[in-house]
Amino acid sequence: MSPLFMTLVLAVGLAIFGRTMYQRILLLMALEPADRFNHIKDRLKNLVVIALGQKRLVGRKKERASGIMHALIFWGFCVLLIRSITLYGEGYVHGFQLPLLGESSILGYLYIALKDIMEGVVLLMVIYAFYRRMVVKPPRLHNTWEAYLVLGLIGILMVSDLLYDGSRFMLITAHGNPGDLHFFNNPTFGQEFLWTPVTIAAGNVISGFSPVGLERVMVLMFWVHIITQLTFLNLLPLGKHFHVITSLPNVFLKHLGYPHEKIKLLDLEDESVWEDETLGVNHLYQLNWKQGLDLYTCTECGRCKEVCPTYVTDKPLNLHDFNDTLKAELYANADNLILRAKLAKTLTGDDEADAKIKEKMAVFKPEKALVGEVIALDTLWACTTCRACEQVCPVTIEHVPRIIAMRQGQTLMQGQYPEELNTAFKGLERNGNPWGIGYDKRADWAEGLDVKLMADDPNVEYLLWVGCAGSFDDRTQKVSKALVKILKAAGVDFAILGTEEKCTGDFARRAGNEMMYQMMATENIEVLNGYKVKKIIAACPHCLNTLKHDYPQMGGHYEVIHHTDFINQLIAEGKIRVKKSLAGVLTYHDPCYLGRYNEIYDAPRSILGGLSNQGLSELPRHGTESFCCGAGGGRMWMEETIGSRINVERSKEIVAENAETVAVGCPFCLTMIEDGMKELDKDEQVKTRDIAELVAEHLA
Amino acid sequence: MKILTTVKKVVDVELNIHVENGAIVEKGLQYVINAWDENAVEAAVQLKEAHKAETTLVSLGSTDNTDIIRKCYAMGIDNAIHIDDPALAKADSPTFAKVLQKVYEAGDYDLVIAGKQAQDTDAGQAGIMLGEFLGIPCVSNVIEIKVTDDTHIQVSRLGDAGTEIVDVTLPAVVTVSDSINEPRLPAMRGIMMAKKKKITVMDLAGLGTSFEEIGGTAPASEIVEFLPTQKRKGGQKFEGDPAEITAKVVQLLVNEAKVL
Repeated sequence: MSPLFMTLVLAVGLAIFGRTMYQRILLLMALEPADRFNHIKDRLKNLVVIALGQKRLVGRKKERASGIMHALIFWGFCVLLIRSITLYGEGYVHGFQLPLLGESSILGYLYIALKDIMEGVVLLMVIYAFYRRMVVKPPRLHNTWEAYLVLGLIGILMVSDLLYDGSRFMLITAHGNPGDLHFFNNPTFGQEFLWTPVTIAAGNVISGFSPVGLERVMVLMFWVHIITQLTFLNLLPLGKHFHVITSLPNVFLKHLGYPHEKIKLLDLEDESVWEDETLGVNHLYQLNWKQGLDLYTCTECGRCKEVCPTYVTDKPLNLHDFNDTLKAELYANADNLILRAKLAKTLTGDDEADAKIKEKMAVFKPEKALVGEVIALDTLWACTTCRACEQVCPVTIEHVPRIIAMRQGQTLMQGQYPEELNTAFKGLERNGNPWGIGYDKRADWAEGLDVKLMADDPNVEYLLWVGCAGSFDDRTQKVSKALVKILKAAGVDFAILGTEEKCTGDFARRAGNEMMYQMMATENIEVLNGYKVKKIIAACPHCLNTLKHDYPQMGGHYEVIHHTDFINQLIAEGKIRVKKSLAGVLTYHDPCYLGRYNEIYDAPRSILGGLSNQGLSELPRHGTESFCCGAGGGRMWMEETIGSRINVERSKEIVAENAETVAVGCPFCLTMIEDGMKELDKDEQVKTRDIAELVAEHLA
Repeated sequence: MKILTTVKKVVDVELNIHVENGAIVEKGLQYVINAWDENAVEAAVQLKEAHKAETTLVSLGSTDNTDIIRKCYAMGIDNAIHIDDPALAKADSPTFAKVLQKVYEAGDYDLVIAGKQAQDTDAGQAGIMLGEFLGIPCVSNVIEIKVTDDTHIQVSRLGDAGTEIVDVTLPAVVTVSDSINEPRLPAMRGIMMAKKKKITVMDLAGLGTSFEEIGGTAPASEIVEFLPTQKRKGGQKFEGDPAEITAKVVQLLVNEAKVL
């Protein structure tokens, strides 16, 4: 077309884009390190399934229509990326063709056909997207000018390219190709336009134009397309559409194995960390670069808040605002953060010299306190760590570890945390349980049940980890007793630790009290390793999760199985038999730490299916999208004073299903849902039972 | 203003305490800061935060009290003295009060804040005796302390029938109730930083006295024996026809319990 103009447009467009991206990358590099370049094969698999395959967009039944819409626009963009290269080439060379995709190959023809259809599809999807935003107005969406602008730009991109091709088609086919325009023409595959129905339709729209008019349209549309594309590219890093660039890397770099980055094991003995406030996230620069990339990538789609138990019960935690606020703060302090990081690199390890550097570094501290001013305390403490947000996030943002790290800063450094946690922490410190009941009463529930203690027989096959609730809470003690009955019926060789067991430290860790957690973990691991424990049956998903995933960081390596998984195995192996005689509507509430954290969804269902004579009825929110009871992340030990109560919200859902029995597999869920039923005055109609209790009652 | 608070380490009363042959079984016991003393420390730190005050803690005993003292440091106490003397293992309340008197006299304190009693013995005497030995005002069961001026405080005292407001001339001793405040759980950072703070440890000789001088060898009272708490007998359950049961219960109340 015009090499000079093309060069000018490209130079300006790419230079500005390059500068913005350079700043964004520098900012990420100024943050803390994170190791995310291992296990490339697994990462590529995630990239293909989650990002390219759009699994979390198309895969959710509830959001299928909008998911398909997004996927089609995304796939359309992938296809059109190649077309763009051809167009830039066209700016320099008349009839530019890419190798393999030229007119001599069937691939070239297949590509133009695909490109033609995808342009039409994307255009339709853009119209649907406008309709959704303007007419349907889903509550999770932020209706911003940016959203409309970007949709508009995508629309212009499609229309301009179609009209460019359409005018070319008209000139070639209806007016004898006056400008000697290039088009595919291969004796085997025929002429280009036989393969492009959408282009023909576009051409027909402007068929009334004269050849001169058509030529003008063609040139105009070419440049409109090129300039729109470069404008679009430059707008992306400025707002939420940055995800167009960052989501693929973000998915590729997501945490592997455990569902999100594990809580960092902090070195509390190092005196300098206490002086330098380096424990947890107290300041922006303590975020790691992957957490920064998460913030860049947040698309503000609002799926996270829609499934968040705190947001739907009117608490101040609104995850996309949370991300947006942090991102804005990151951008606002970008220069300072980069300068600070440069200084940090000059630290020598020599105390005296470093003191001066640290003094200079302190100048670059952001004005506002990260927690308290940027993020409100109530927002930070609302989270139940249920992971519903992470499970639905299409771009795999890890919200929870960031929240816990910020809580660490508050609990360890600032001493700012909900007052009610005091009692629980004190109980943990003195008696190894959050209630603070005398530790010597821990095994009282087992009196008369003839349960062995590890101290008496350290060679048993299994250790039964009872947990604090199972040991001290009247209601949950019944679950412990039921479990003992099942294990005895199956002839399992097991023992308990009795007064040697302490809280695993789960809630303390998730409330940011790493010190209390490490205290509990150290003592427990010492006892467990002392007895050479190998296999543990955990009667609580929180204990399970901590024993299985947290303790290895501190040298505790065990094979840990949740009691529902174990009971399911006992049934499958024929070691116990159950009667299929449970009457009435039975439903199941998935505990977050059993389901989303440990992916145990089938075992409880398989057991319950074998008990109920009418089969298990699923709740509307179940499995990976189960709704939290409200007690995770230390919330069990905090007051819930803002908004409505999470457990009541969940109980209402259970009542609406006409359930007569709701099964759970977690002592917190048991307490919360039973309390919810009482609050609704439905505790007589709907019985909340642990799966172990139901099995024990139906042993054949 | 210089404030002295007193702290005692006591048996954790959340535990079952077993008694054998007239003595407490030590095995399985754990020791914690006396809850009322924690209120005293909190009250002192709050006064320090609101007014210019220097707070000093004194703990007595024959035990290693480093853990609880470090925690009090983290709560905001400025100085700590631990009187560690094996002789104190057998001391009674007046003897403890005498030790406190010596500590008081070695410093130049305006106000002593003590817990109103200790969770282990529930005697509630040491604080009041200290006031008596020093010949300065003492108010017990205090639920609020307000500083009026450099030489006066106004305290609220929880009585049986209501609250008394008392103007007190300093120096004075107050013993505090647990409803005066909710002791803070110090930030972990404070506890770690408190490791660096110095605890002045001395025995009675270091304090310039002896067990004999403070009357320890001729105690006013002595523990003779510990007895286990009598377990409550289970009640009687009656099942059957309500009319018959009622008649039976009434008959038992009249003839056996003799309450009707």
